[in-house]
Amino acid sequence: MDRQGQIINPSEDPHLPQEKVLKFYRSMTLLNTMDRILYESQRQGRISFYMTNYGEEGTHVGSAAALDNTDLVFGQYREAGVLMYRDYPLELFMAQCYGNVSDLGKGRQMPVHYGCRERHFVTISSPLATQIPQAVGAAYAAKRANANRVVICYFGEGAASEGDAHAGFNFAATLECPIIFFCRNNGYAISTPTSEQYRGDGIAARGPGYGIMSIRVDGNDVFAVYNATKEARRRAVAENQPFLIEAMTYRIGHHSTSDDSSAYRSVDEVNYWDKQDHPISRLRHYLQSRGWWDDEQEKAWRKQSRKKVMEAFEQAERKPKPSPSLLFSDVYQEMPAQLRKQQEALARHLQTYGEHYPLDHFEK
Amino acid sequence: MAAFAATAGGLLRLRAAGSEGQWRRLRGAGLLRGLLQPESATGVAAQRRRVAHFTFQPDPEPREYGQTQKMNLFQAITSALDNSLAKDPTAVIFGEDVAFGGVFRCTVGLRDKYGKDRVFNTPLCEQGIVGFGIGIAVTGATAIAEIQFADYIFPAFDQIVNEAAKYRYRSGDLFNCGSLTIRAPWGCVGHGALYHSQSPEAFFAHCPGIKVVVPRSPFQAKGLLLSCIEDKNPCIFFEPKILYRAAVEQVPVEPYNVPLSQAEVIQEGSDVTLVAWGTQVHVIREVAAMAQEKLGVSCEVIDLRTILPWDVDTVCKSVIKTGRLLISHEAPLTGGFASEISSTVQEECFLNLEAPISRVCGYDTPFPHIFEPFYIPDKWKCYDALRKMINY
Repeated sequence: MDRQGQIINPSEDPHLPQEKVLKFYRSMTLLNTMDRILYESQRQGRISFYMTNYGEEGTHVGSAAALDNTDLVFGQYREAGVLMYRDYPLELFMAQCYGNVSDLGKGRQMPVHYGCRERHFVTISSPLATQIPQAVGAAYAAKRANANRVVICYFGEGAASEGDAHAGFNFAATLECPIIFFCRNNGYAISTPTSEQYRGDGIAARGPGYGIMSIRVDGNDVFAVYNATKEARRRAVAENQPFLIEAMTYRIGHHSTSDDSSAYRSVDEVNYWDKQDHPISRLRHYLQSRGWWDDEQEKAWRKQSRKKVMEAFEQAERKPKPSPSLLFSDVYQEMPAQLRKQQEALARHLQTYGEHYPLDHFEK
Repeated sequence: MAAFAATAGGLLRLRAAGSEGQWRRLRGAGLLRGLLQPESATGVAAQRRRVAHFTFQPDPEPREYGQTQKMNLFQAITSALDNSLAKDPTAVIFGEDVAFGGVFRCTVGLRDKYGKDRVFNTPLCEQGIVGFGIGIAVTGATAIAEIQFADYIFPAFDQIVNEAAKYRYRSGDLFNCGSLTIRAPWGCVGHGALYHSQSPEAFFAHCPGIKVVVPRSPFQAKGLLLSCIEDKNPCIFFEPKILYRAAVEQVPVEPYNVPLSQAEVIQEGSDVTLVAWGTQVHVIREVAAMAQEKLGVSCEVIDLRTILPWDVDTVCKSVIKTGRLLISHEAPLTGGFASEISSTVQEECFLNLEAPISRVCGYDTPFPHIFEPFYIPDKWKCYDALRKMINY
């Protein structure tokens, strides 16, 4: 697809049915709406932190759509669109950000550190690239289990500089693991541009150094991402070898709510990508030119998606936080005696000093 | 690394975060104002940023170091780095995102002032940052490495423990990396959760050959950091991130030193010795005031300042006088540095002790997000432990 949503090479058109492509579009735009509302909610002090996915929605949805629902996903932190595509409910996105009683993660992590066992999305952790060797191990186990399952591992071009990335790539190749390494090259690691991150030809060029088949795609072309991931998946399972996809995209938003990117890049640069090469508008052009979408549907969908997000948001705000006793569980599978004593000590402490703690907002 | 700036009291100015074309018109603020009740109506007021668990107490303006300027913690750090690069032409500062000023603004202005070969970004790789820094130091040049959060120092653990700490010893003093200093933001910040709140000093305390330092304030930070940079041994300097903006006091503009391996008695007392470092010093200071007011108990408050090698004499001298010791840190109880202090003090001062030594620390769990108010060793927990010690 070019920037106007026209197929460039008809032989590469995946010919996806209307319903599927509409699902792409709805996932990407719903994510975008949720991002804007949750970003703003952090500015208002309602949640403590947030990271947006602006500009990278195509990399998430294109790749997620090419996988089986049971393929295991290891992400970094900017892949919420994968969960969105797998129909993770807004209620649960919000629950995690608010750390309320409905949060599957029991309120322990900062916002956007999603996880979902049911949807095969391994819980996010903040340290970078730690997921890479882990994903490789999971792929090896899947191979041994004859699961016909692939593992996909997402990371940014910055994380690819970590030692763990080198370890992961090399293990995947030598141990012949059915894994897709998906690098979101979005131009920045916080303030660090790619020119300061590497001097070689991006991340894709490293793959062959490890014996890994690699491809670079236009990350803002959701069909290109889809095609590459689909083929990588097919071959990874059939041949038990790793594949590396480097999706070129752009981080339109700030790194997080703690970052103001005007300190290190021009508004003009950001606007260029926002206006000239955005995965959502490219897909919309495609949909409109096929008569699968029009301005009225756009208007109606925007209203509907905004409403859905706001409803989930309001509900999430009202829910209490989990019981403080959950501070102590899941450190190990079984609770050690010393830890139980600490849990009891806190309970006793709160009996005497409870007025100094925000107990009203927590379950008992 | 996923990063955020400690926002205690100050939001970073927001430029248009930008969102795709026509969708941009649905600006978040309008959405929320239009559709939500004001916060008080829904009773979610307490979900706003909480009041901090401590109150920063500035020290009196120092008189002996010349002209002073009002600085917060990150500005004091910048000042120390500025002084270092001015004095020492071999000194360089490097790490992730330091070029534009750093995620906590500690290096603002330094690249412009000293040049891009002296203040520069590295690729995203902690093991590389520290290894690279060791190499600089081996040639005798001064290396000031930044790790973006102490929580992310662990990939560099091998370089620190197996290399930096052992360089001089293993080479029979043929080689050393004494001119290496590693700086990292440290400690709880209100919402940092597992990976933006850690206090890992205990891991490094177990490693002879390095020094580990934690300041409680801007004045202390500048003097201690300068001492670390000038010290002939590799040093790790942990900066309490919750204090970056919140701690403000008068700090000398010129360089000065605060000595390493010397604890400071910041308040004298006769009944109980309280020991802490970093942010927690301000918590125990308040506990001392509470103890005086509510219990008529006089506390001696000690800021340990250097974790390794630590000032055994000052702490023991105090415990010999008071007979009671309470140590407090955010890091988990088991294997936390309070264990080392407790063990040594009972060896040295056994017959002086009137009560078992008390440790008020984080629980033996990872650092939780939503449960932070319950997790931290706040003034109520410290006060309660003190009360029990007095009544022992």
